[in-house]
Amino acid sequence: MTYYNNAIITKRELLVRILKLQKNNSLLEKIDRIPLEMRPRTNSPIRCCVHKDRAVIKYKIMALLGYNISDEQDELTPLSTYAKESLNRKEEGGHYLTVVDEACSSCVQVNYTVSNLCQGCEGRSCQVNCPKDAISVFNGKANIDHQKCVNCGLCQKACPFHAIAYLPVPCEESCPVKAIRKNENGVEEIDFDKCIHCGKCMTACPFGAINEKSQVLQIHDAIHVLKQKTVAIVAPAVLGQFKVPSGQILAAIKALGFDAVMEVAEGADLTAQHETAEWQEKMAEGANFMTTSCCPAYTELADKHIKGLKPYVSHTPSPMVFTADKARELHGDCKVIFIGPCLAKRKEAYNNKKADFVMTAEELGSFFAAYGIDVANEKSAQLSYVVSPEARGFAASGGVTDAIKAQLADPESFKSFLVDGISRKTIKLLKTFPIRPPKAPFVEVMACEGGCINGPSALAPPSIGNATLKKAVAELSTQAIV
Amino acid sequence: MTKTNHTIKICCGTMCYIMGGAELHLIREHLPESLQDQVKVEGISCLGLCEKEGDSQHPYVLINNEVMPKASIQKIIQYIQNLK
Repeated sequence: MTYYNNAIITKRELLVRILKLQKNNSLLEKIDRIPLEMRPRTNSPIRCCVHKDRAVIKYKIMALLGYNISDEQDELTPLSTYAKESLNRKEEGGHYLTVVDEACSSCVQVNYTVSNLCQGCEGRSCQVNCPKDAISVFNGKANIDHQKCVNCGLCQKACPFHAIAYLPVPCEESCPVKAIRKNENGVEEIDFDKCIHCGKCMTACPFGAINEKSQVLQIHDAIHVLKQKTVAIVAPAVLGQFKVPSGQILAAIKALGFDAVMEVAEGADLTAQHETAEWQEKMAEGANFMTTSCCPAYTELADKHIKGLKPYVSHTPSPMVFTADKARELHGDCKVIFIGPCLAKRKEAYNNKKADFVMTAEELGSFFAAYGIDVANEKSAQLSYVVSPEARGFAASGGVTDAIKAQLADPESFKSFLVDGISRKTIKLLKTFPIRPPKAPFVEVMACEGGCINGPSALAPPSIGNATLKKAVAELSTQAIV
Repeated sequence: MTKTNHTIKICCGTMCYIMGGAELHLIREHLPESLQDQVKVEGISCLGLCEKEGDSQHPYVLINNEVMPKASIQKIIQYIQNLK
């Protein structure tokens, strides 16, 4: 899970500032002042000096405007130029993460270091056991030669004083598919042939150096400048992000200027129906098992890393797809904006072109703040559609399974297995499935531990998100009885 | 031991909520045992302080009606412990 930290706050403050300026139509005039205002001379700098701090802020803004940091041609290009052009920018690679090289502190190259606990003992098992002869002892203390060390960790295990410490590189360590590593300058680089957009590196980096490329300006302009018809489709996980009843959250979203607001739970009901039918068909055909397909980071994982698993992944479209189709059916020519705590949905929308834009839960909160909308003061919206409680439950791990169960005539005999969170360990397990099928014929896979509610761009801490989501699910159960 | 009662009111205005206020709702899990039954935690609607004092003092809480800017769980606990 992500521990709340200042890098998260910096990102949210930037989003609010950008949106406030755009709302007041003064973005181009004032955007270049944001780094100066947020990192004034009077503060003690976070990095080496105030100028570096400001440069970091500048590049973080560039990412939030939708650019790759590597798009920079001329260092003197002001943010206002990027802001002006950002609306016409077309995303070409479908890569929604970018590394702010100024912010990347170039963590250690070698993960092992000798601490001052080293006693310079006679045994010197660290030195004796090092397969690369990387350890030498001067002045009674061991030293690791960075040119020779290959990070095997034997010295750490061998030291009887526990004097050798492991120094992690948080982004690399968090990446389940080894898609991020240092380039020749020591700065992290993402390999998009491997990246599954799970967002784990982004939340892991304590320098906030890995940024998502946001679409907030495009969304703002679609609503308020171009006056296009816009439909917000709201993921169930969003209903857990604010401590108010879900009707109030939906009303607050409408107050941002959308022409219509729909719940992705509507589509989730269709996903559950189709997926149940598909599963029954596959079982009848003699398949060993089937996995879910609604988590876009998981489907990208299967595509890029576990090809053998692909025949077992459900072909049922995700709730976002069903809901977006429904939105266009109901509202004709419109821009569909998916709102959820997920980074990989941007990639899914880029691939299937079902949603025009994706807004994260953090960005939604920033929109509310910039527009002065207080969720607690909104009058609850009346639902004009029917969704099942299970459909809202999709947002928490185990929710898809419960929804499928609810569709079955004999739910008691239904056996399922949950992969709660994609990690190196669970990837190993998933890789075994095509060879040694899992014990249960239905496998739910969620890239985020706990489910969407704990997504990389969520607002509420997981325990609060879960509790509030449960209430949103319960609201519907009681309605159904009445 | 004298029983003191403290009330922590967490601002639930949007700006406070997104700038760290959401985390403050977890304070019960962090309170030392000695304070558990002496502290009342509630959410309140926007205090309007954000507009007065500029943008960077979020999140706000009221502890026994005293304003604390830039509140954190540890700061709140320390403040209450110092009151005793």
